[in-house]
Amino acid sequence: MRRIALITACFLLGLTATACGSDSFKSDSAGGSKSVTVVGQQFTEADVMTQLYKLVLEKAGYSVKVKNFGTRDIYLSALQNNDVQVAADYLSSLTEALNKKKNGADAAPVASNDQAATVAKLGELAADYSITPLDPAQAQDANAYAVTQAYSDANGVTKLSDLAGKTVTLAANSDCPERADCAKGLEQVYGIKIAKVLPLGFGSAETKNALIKGEVQLGQVGTSDATLKNKALVILQDDKAWQNAENLVPVVNSTWLKDNPKAKDALNALSAALTTADLAVLNGKVDIERELPADAAKAWLTDKGLL
Amino acid sequence: MDAAAGDVVIGEVYHWLSDPAHWSGPDGITVRLTEHVLLTVLSVLIAVAIGLPLALWLGHRGSGGSVAINVTNIGRAVPIVALLALLSMGVFGSADFGPFGRAGLATLVTLSLFALPPIITNTWVGMREVDRGIIEAARGMGMSEAQVARRVEVPLALPLIVSGVRLAVVQVWATATIAALVAGPGLGRIIKHGYDAQRGAEVVAGALVVAVIALALERFFALVQSWATARASGQAARSVGAAA
Amino acid sequence: MFPLAADNCLTRNDWICGAYYASRAGVLRDALVQHVALVFVSVLLGMLLAIPLALLARRYPRLEGVVVGTTTAIYTIPSLALFSLLVPLTGLGVVTVVVGLGLYSLTILVRACLDGLASVPADVVEAARGMGYSGARLLRSVELPLALPTIMGGLRVATVSAVALTTVGAILDYGGLGTLLIQGKETDFRAQVLITSLLCVAMAVILDLALVAAQRLLTPWTRQQVTS
Repeated sequence: MRRIALITACFLLGLTATACGSDSFKSDSAGGSKSVTVVGQQFTEADVMTQLYKLVLEKAGYSVKVKNFGTRDIYLSALQNNDVQVAADYLSSLTEALNKKKNGADAAPVASNDQAATVAKLGELAADYSITPLDPAQAQDANAYAVTQAYSDANGVTKLSDLAGKTVTLAANSDCPERADCAKGLEQVYGIKIAKVLPLGFGSAETKNALIKGEVQLGQVGTSDATLKNKALVILQDDKAWQNAENLVPVVNSTWLKDNPKAKDALNALSAALTTADLAVLNGKVDIERELPADAAKAWLTDKGLL
Repeated sequence: MDAAAGDVVIGEVYHWLSDPAHWSGPDGITVRLTEHVLLTVLSVLIAVAIGLPLALWLGHRGSGGSVAINVTNIGRAVPIVALLALLSMGVFGSADFGPFGRAGLATLVTLSLFALPPIITNTWVGMREVDRGIIEAARGMGMSEAQVARRVEVPLALPLIVSGVRLAVVQVWATATIAALVAGPGLGRIIKHGYDAQRGAEVVAGALVVAVIALALERFFALVQSWATARASGQAARSVGAAA
Repeated sequence: MFPLAADNCLTRNDWICGAYYASRAGVLRDALVQHVALVFVSVLLGMLLAIPLALLARRYPRLEGVVVGTTTAIYTIPSLALFSLLVPLTGLGVVTVVVGLGLYSLTILVRACLDGLASVPADVVEAARGMGYSGARLLRSVELPLALPTIMGGLRVATVSAVALTTVGAILDYGGLGTLLIQGKETDFRAQVLITSLLCVAMAVILDLALVAAQRLLTPWTRQQVTS
């Protein structure tokens, strides 16, 4: 019995030990090609972005591993510790996440519609956590509010101002009621009365479904979501330029960056080429045509002469 | 997740829990707790109503039960998050269902399916584990099959049956938090809000309420189980005596 | 904004789609292998922890409440929080997922071991003692074999549950088929949701049947009783 237990334990330890070995995220500069781990979250756009980063870094001579995590918090500490080196992130979301990490959940928002000002703010905050944002892309996936095409036609609503004075129910992230870029802002900036917020998530299948079924009139989505058109949903224009700038931005570990100027050049070249329209096309390739993110990313990079 | 777990000091959690504003109102702990209790109780009752008779019958009948158990167990193989999403966006819809909230029907069905396997497996194993000699003796005394089941097998299987219900209750209680994924009722709403708003204290406070009550349920059913065990040993002694 | 997509089972979002299986064969196979490995190792880890814990609780009855209570408390920790607690100790990889899943399985396995040991008739143990059995030998030759049907019942529930639970590993990109299932749900990808769900069910059925077969091999006497 004891021997069996011992053998099983060794087997298990052996398994986990090899797993630990293969799992090591540490960059290994001793070998011929430097290895680097690119991380992002788990939705289509993050999949596409991490694949784009992977391909341009491979072109620059790196051996690249991609990991997609359920939340930003999971990889943020790892990025700080150089356990992972590159993250595909969003300008204002990351700025606010770091702001809350540093100043608490009730910290006054510092990100805004002003891209340059937000980039500066992000640079300041990121320095405290030994991470460095590289050049943001022109491409954005900002917070937006959508209605059904039918609702838009019937009520002559194409921009958020058109909803002033109207009462609507909203499907959004669960922290929406207290957020300035969600229910609070819709009421204060646009004078829209929010009767109820259904916490179904940002741009989730559930949120879009609730819109289509007429359970809510307004739904929180992303501006680069390619499936909206297929589902007959339209984004209402943010005519008061109220929403934060959410440019796609590569963020990297600061220590690692010092030794890897080549990686910086490769990622910045990618950011310089990527527009919101490109991003929507890429998302559509994956979400509608159901291409694999890696294939869609490769085709686009080849098309742009970046590979 | 520094913000949600690592950095949270006990003081912050205490502070959050001791704020009366967090207990009252439509999104307060009191309302969410009541919803959570209702959801758990009804889901387990449905599972008991379906699973118990089925497993008692299979256990009494004997052979072939193993495969039948296999069939009833597969409800647990589909990840519960996906099952809830599929059911709420599909057949059962996401309409409000009384106190069970949005997508209440889909949530109840999902949790009931989740509660079935421990109830069915334990009941069946409990029935099969009853000493064959005692059962034969009971038959020899002229008991009908129904009498054998009711007066001999069930009392002797009771400790394991209660253990199955105990596990189902604790697991459903802990799992009912998933209702928050479809904006449904229960304490999961507090935990999810805490995550979304990067308020670690709220996450821990919500999880703590779930954990404390899970432990209370656990203790309660432990008492029921020891009562059932004591009863079963008495029954066994009597049966053996009668058989002798 | 982008050219109109071709009309095929992928763009139509059919529940069953040959082009999906063709283009994702490798992805599905890798996910399936990872899933089976995660279930196997985490349940094994759970069992290796559950048996000594159950023996400890039986040896010191006062500890039983603590042991069962602790496994219950662990089970109530939301997966995201549990992984966040484990990451600093076990890293950002597969070890964290296996340890997390193993800990979650304890709530089923510890109870099954305790119930199993409790179901061993006292007179049998007494008789064995009278014949000179004691300690490890009593446990190995008398108690564990008699406790096996109940323990195996628990192992079956734990294994089937682990197939579903493995999905939470998706948070750390180690969720096997669960990673694809969640992705399919989020992107409303029916072919992916259906096939990964079916593979989960098939995997659970096969593992469950394998456990039943293993139990029959291990406890031939129970089978004789049933058929007699």
